[in-house]
Amino acid sequence: MTAITGVGAYAPRFRITSEAFEEAWGQFQAAGVSEKAVPAADEDALTMGYEAATKALEAADVDPAAVDWLGFASSTPPEAEADLTARLGAMLALDETATRQLFSGSTRAGTRAIWASADALESSATTALVVAADAPKGDPDDGVDHAAGAGAAAFVVERDGPAEVVDRAEYAVPYPGTRFRNAGEAETQGLGVTQYDRAAFTETIGGAVDGLEADLEPEAAAIQAPDGKLPYRAAGAAGVGTDEIQAAATVHDLGDLGAASVPVSLASALADGYESILAVSHGGGAGADALAIEADGEVPAETALEGDDPLSYAEYLRQRGVVTTGPPSGGGAYVSVPSWRRSIPQRYNLEAGRCPECGALEFPPAGACSSCGALEEYESVRLSGEGEIEAVTTISQGGAPPEFAEQQSRAGDYAAAIVALEDDAGDTASIAAMGTDADPDDFAVGDRIETTIRRIYTQEGVTRYGFKVRPAA
Amino acid sequence: MRDAYLVGAGQSEYGAFPEESYRSLFRTAFEAATDSVPRGIEASDVDEAFIGTLGVGGRQLGLSGPAVTEHVGLGGVPCTRVENACAASGFATRQAVQAVKSGMADVALAGGFEIMSDMSSDATKYWLGVSGETEWERLSGTTFSGVYAQMASVHMEKYGTTREHLSQVAVKNHANGAKNPHAQLGFECSLEDAQSAPVVADPLNLYHCCPTSDGAACALIVSEDVVDEYTDDPIRVAGVGASSDTVGLFQRDSYTGVPASQRAGEQAYEMAGVEPDDLDFAEVHDCFAIAELLAYEDLGFCEQGEAGDLIDSGATELGGDLPVNTSGGLKSKGHPIGATGAGQVVEAFKQLSGKAGDRQVENPTRGLTHNVGGSGGASVVHIFEKDAETEVSA
Repeated sequence: MTAITGVGAYAPRFRITSEAFEEAWGQFQAAGVSEKAVPAADEDALTMGYEAATKALEAADVDPAAVDWLGFASSTPPEAEADLTARLGAMLALDETATRQLFSGSTRAGTRAIWASADALESSATTALVVAADAPKGDPDDGVDHAAGAGAAAFVVERDGPAEVVDRAEYAVPYPGTRFRNAGEAETQGLGVTQYDRAAFTETIGGAVDGLEADLEPEAAAIQAPDGKLPYRAAGAAGVGTDEIQAAATVHDLGDLGAASVPVSLASALADGYESILAVSHGGGAGADALAIEADGEVPAETALEGDDPLSYAEYLRQRGVVTTGPPSGGGAYVSVPSWRRSIPQRYNLEAGRCPECGALEFPPAGACSSCGALEEYESVRLSGEGEIEAVTTISQGGAPPEFAEQQSRAGDYAAAIVALEDDAGDTASIAAMGTDADPDDFAVGDRIETTIRRIYTQEGVTRYGFKVRPAA
Repeated sequence: MRDAYLVGAGQSEYGAFPEESYRSLFRTAFEAATDSVPRGIEASDVDEAFIGTLGVGGRQLGLSGPAVTEHVGLGGVPCTRVENACAASGFATRQAVQAVKSGMADVALAGGFEIMSDMSSDATKYWLGVSGETEWERLSGTTFSGVYAQMASVHMEKYGTTREHLSQVAVKNHANGAKNPHAQLGFECSLEDAQSAPVVADPLNLYHCCPTSDGAACALIVSEDVVDEYTDDPIRVAGVGASSDTVGLFQRDSYTGVPASQRAGEQAYEMAGVEPDDLDFAEVHDCFAIAELLAYEDLGFCEQGEAGDLIDSGATELGGDLPVNTSGGLKSKGHPIGATGAGQVVEAFKQLSGKAGDRQVENPTRGLTHNVGGSGGASVVHIFEKDAETEVSA
């Protein structure tokens, strides 16, 4: 048996409306989308996945070390080659021996990961974590980009629990040219052959749903939503009404979430208390997965899908890096990738040290104690991720190190602070940290903050991730 | 230990000089220093040299000391490059004093240089941040403007220091720099100008930040055994203090002061047997306006938290009780990183020799120089004192 025992969902804080697109282009090509989520310049599928996964683990009250299977799904992984599950697993403090699988290459990837978790639980796995995160991108004048949103969902899946995956089926048939991205390209495209695209969409969805053996009368239907109209066109094929699709729809407010589209809708439906849910994905090429979920009672869920920071279209292009030129060349200060890697326990997991001589916390835990000067081995202590601002500034244009010039071009001024981070006993260690997720004016001396993980900067083609701070929730 | 004396000091102009190399600027400073020695000095008299430079641009990162001393005819003289970020040549001066006091040298040259203006602004910024704590402080998105702005944020929160106080530092130092022919930004600015400039790192705006500069400076330190060969009006190095600290601000207990400067100041006062009240002028490290205010407190010119009142009172203006940064300071005179500490010694020499022109302090007998590396990872303080109470006309 396979059951969802915890749900997490996340969407970035930025929103752009269909009106803003109309103002810029004279038209908006994503029918049924009234506004959509836009990832901040320091966000990508990995960081959004981290946000959702953290919430799912909290909701399920599962110790990350107990997770023995991790699946990460995205049609836009920040690296086309490299095992991102290693970094995601480390950010979440999973055990190094947990099985990890990466799912990509299609907007079906999210449901493929749920599918694979069910297979794993039917063999040796006991606690699976499925993370689907996506931020599709198209050419600015293409409908794919007009629809493209951003978001993530994560599920803790175990052998027994409140929301059981009672049935699953899949279907695939060749429809080349529907939705694709060639190797080396950053923008997803489609030929836009309207009737052909619709045929691919409804045939695969119908085929997958027809494969289900369970006799379903779903209250909510989480259907793949490349825009706000297409899922409703598949209502007949999926055997549901528009009300059921509407009940689980997130596309109208968040846009096309790619491989996270069905997972976020499923998370939203579970959080809303629907007890019978049909989840059907679709990916270009073309194929579909259908999952039937029956919930018995409340499913623990933590979702953060709201956002109220509006962007103009020009700001949208900046945040997404469409109109910026990338980091300047230079020399001087340099942190090698190996030395960055040595700091990963601090960057991802806030590993501090307690001085055996004076008991003070040291962060990073290396070298002589800055409180008493003792040069001893520290006792490892994990900080909580909560704390207070001790000193802060807002870095304006010209005040940023050149490594951050591209981020500043995209996201504007940012806060840079010294924060006192607390351990469970209430002791603190001070550390420099960049502000994120809020206007720089929202950071002041004495304010409470919490940490999250974001892109810090990219050098030599390698993106370095680590903690930043934001106002406490 | 025997006494050490400052018998000459000189500098190039500070500014942007596309026609000059680091060597040619150093030559200008070296010749100005030797020319300033009252009874003259020969290159062959120099026993040892210490040269401060950060190496911005990487143009001669290795052996940058000998590269300039051999250029001015000091080939064969032992030469060591001293690197302590913005305090490089303040520490080079201290090394020269140590060499002389120890008996290893009778005549020691302390100098410094930097070229910062011949690169793109992006390349310059890569080099500006290199003395910050790299792995954490820089990668939280700060260069020094950000780190000093953080210190300002706490000082303002804790003591009620204001943006206007910061701007007053700029107004004062520009007023002084306008009287210094070597100053890079030798113009006066109004309080309104200094308050309305674009923000760099809040609360610091452009007028609260020193410029990037090309320049060189040299000082000649000699022993008590030979001082009479060079001058009738000896200026004694009465006090020296130095200290180091964590490179990153976040690792310190206090963000409202520079502990290394406090320790360096205490040492220098104790060695000189004087107190802040005994000073007639001071050149302090005002890389950012808040840094000058912190220096007032760290060096005992006022109590902790009262720097805003002190700048308000006018006491640190030319003509006040304790004129600070008569040269214009880093803000107006300029800040060619490796040259700055030796350049402060040049101002002390000029003031104590009565050669400071329109910015001459009336009849000074004792002055202090204060040179900080980074946000306070290194700090060095010197107190110079005229041996005899010879009159200097204002």
